[in-house]
Amino acid sequence: MADFFKTLSDRVQDGDDQKVVQMVEKALKDRILAIDILEKALVAGLQALGERFKEGEVYLPEILISIRAMNRGVDVLRPHLQGQEAQKQGCVVLGTIEGDLHDIGKNLVKLMLEGNGFRVVDLGIDVPASSFAKAAGEHRADIVGISSLLTLSMTSISKVIDALKSSGLRDRVRVMIGGAPITRQFADSIGAEGFAEDCVTAVDEAKRLMKSAK
Amino acid sequence: MSSRERFKAVARCRKPGELSLTNFFNDFWNETLFGWVKNGAPSQLANSSFRGQYFGFDHVRVLREIVSGLRQVPYEIGGVEAYVATPPICPLFHMKALEEDEHTIIIINRAGQTVKLLKDHPQQMPEYLAQPVSDRETWKEYKKKLAPDAPGRWPDDWKGYVEKMNARDIPVCLQVGSFFGFLREWMGLEKLLYTFYDDPGLIEEMMDTILTLELEVIERALKDVKVDWALFWEDMAYKSGPLISPAMFRKFMIPRYRKITDLLHKHGLDIIFVDSDGNINKLIPLWLECGVNGFWPLEVAAGMDAVALRKEYGKGAILAGNMDKRALLKGKEAIREEVMTKLPPLLESGGYFPSVDHLVPPDVTLENFQYFINTMREVAGLEKLPFH
Repeated sequence: MADFFKTLSDRVQDGDDQKVVQMVEKALKDRILAIDILEKALVAGLQALGERFKEGEVYLPEILISIRAMNRGVDVLRPHLQGQEAQKQGCVVLGTIEGDLHDIGKNLVKLMLEGNGFRVVDLGIDVPASSFAKAAGEHRADIVGISSLLTLSMTSISKVIDALKSSGLRDRVRVMIGGAPITRQFADSIGAEGFAEDCVTAVDEAKRLMKSAK
Repeated sequence: MSSRERFKAVARCRKPGELSLTNFFNDFWNETLFGWVKNGAPSQLANSSFRGQYFGFDHVRVLREIVSGLRQVPYEIGGVEAYVATPPICPLFHMKALEEDEHTIIIINRAGQTVKLLKDHPQQMPEYLAQPVSDRETWKEYKKKLAPDAPGRWPDDWKGYVEKMNARDIPVCLQVGSFFGFLREWMGLEKLLYTFYDDPGLIEEMMDTILTLELEVIERALKDVKVDWALFWEDMAYKSGPLISPAMFRKFMIPRYRKITDLLHKHGLDIIFVDSDGNINKLIPLWLECGVNGFWPLEVAAGMDAVALRKEYGKGAILAGNMDKRALLKGKEAIREEVMTKLPPLLESGGYFPSVDHLVPPDVTLENFQYFINTMREVAGLEKLPFH
């Protein structure tokens, strides 16, 4: 069984979506538990690729085709997952800050977080501080993730923190930020608990924040 | 020494200590200039010639009338002037407004992209909603706009144009394309990255179309015009590194870069820059390997360090930019520290054109930018400018 999970994980890492679908279909016929296929092969494959990304072995195209392969496998699994849904890592409300229309980095973070078991509420771009706070309350978010690509818009991030405070949510919602001009130092200076360099470290950081919240 | 010779001498590290602030590397967002004028700066600052004199810039001329590299096409949204960076397509698409609300507007721009813009800040990068190339069918139509002889590619009065360009003692730059950046402009980043795996043949075909265009442009232009340096545009990295792997770069891009740099070298042109934002540390050795030897803007926030690059690559690399724009937001102390840390060693080695690490953003005050310029002049032993 371990060999099967390893092979399927490797196909996810190769981004071979057709092979992934074939293998998942066959595994279901062989009565392997859907939840095991999901966690021990598909998610494990994406996580292994994330590690290889950090080591500089793979780059964004490989991440994208791997997520696509994983998602195709999840589509096949979904009807069989009822009642055995994987426990979600947490809920992240995600968006690009007001005054900024960049969405590529934010979209990649969303794909990686979802692939790693987070529920993501994507607010899109040019999102006012009040909307982050409102969505965090409505969705009972654990983390608010904010993207900013401009020096001009990064100063608005602290307004989100203020809005969370005003809404009485700050104690239970962690704030994670990222984008071209953002540094850990800047995150510290405005009181954001999390900072991510890219879509892979965003997953690590979100997991760290979830642990620190417990 | 003529202005052209001086530019080349600085690039080739033959003028240690010489400060060359060019108008090309020292450029601004429109909003920055409009903001300064609104706050009492001379209204002529919007004019590039005046700006050059005001800040003491060395003038560099880019042959923008030959439609080859990335072109900045002006347009206007609600009275606010902006530019869209457009691949070398002839003719351009017609601009069309699709819908708008109080805050934003959705248009098809001159590059054929459907984009959402902030009405008050139309020069900011937009949200891309649709791209002109999505598959082989759309590419087949689009590529007609990349023909070397497409109407509008060349100045009408070629002879007059050549005479004018050759008569002036100003360093002249020819844009020579882009093998990643243009493809991203055509397809969007996500689609492009998938296509490297899903249809590599289409990627090769698109790159070869660019190659054919650029080789023709170089042959024809260099036959008549005295060109001093060449410029690629890629923007193919982000904060953590390149958008594709070095292996993919090697496979798809190096053979095509080589064909262009070989032709440039054949014409005696050996100052060949690439403009790429983000962290390009892993790409620099690959670019150097295929004859691209100049790098701009070396973004500090992405971890680029010109002093370290000089140590690593010696005088084989020409460097431009790398002054942290964020220091100009902080104030005089931070500006002085940034300049004093980097400029003395880089001026001493030569081969360096100082500038902020991208366009000067709108939140930099004129006073801070003036201080930045005069601090650099002080390091180079030049008189401070009065900025009247």
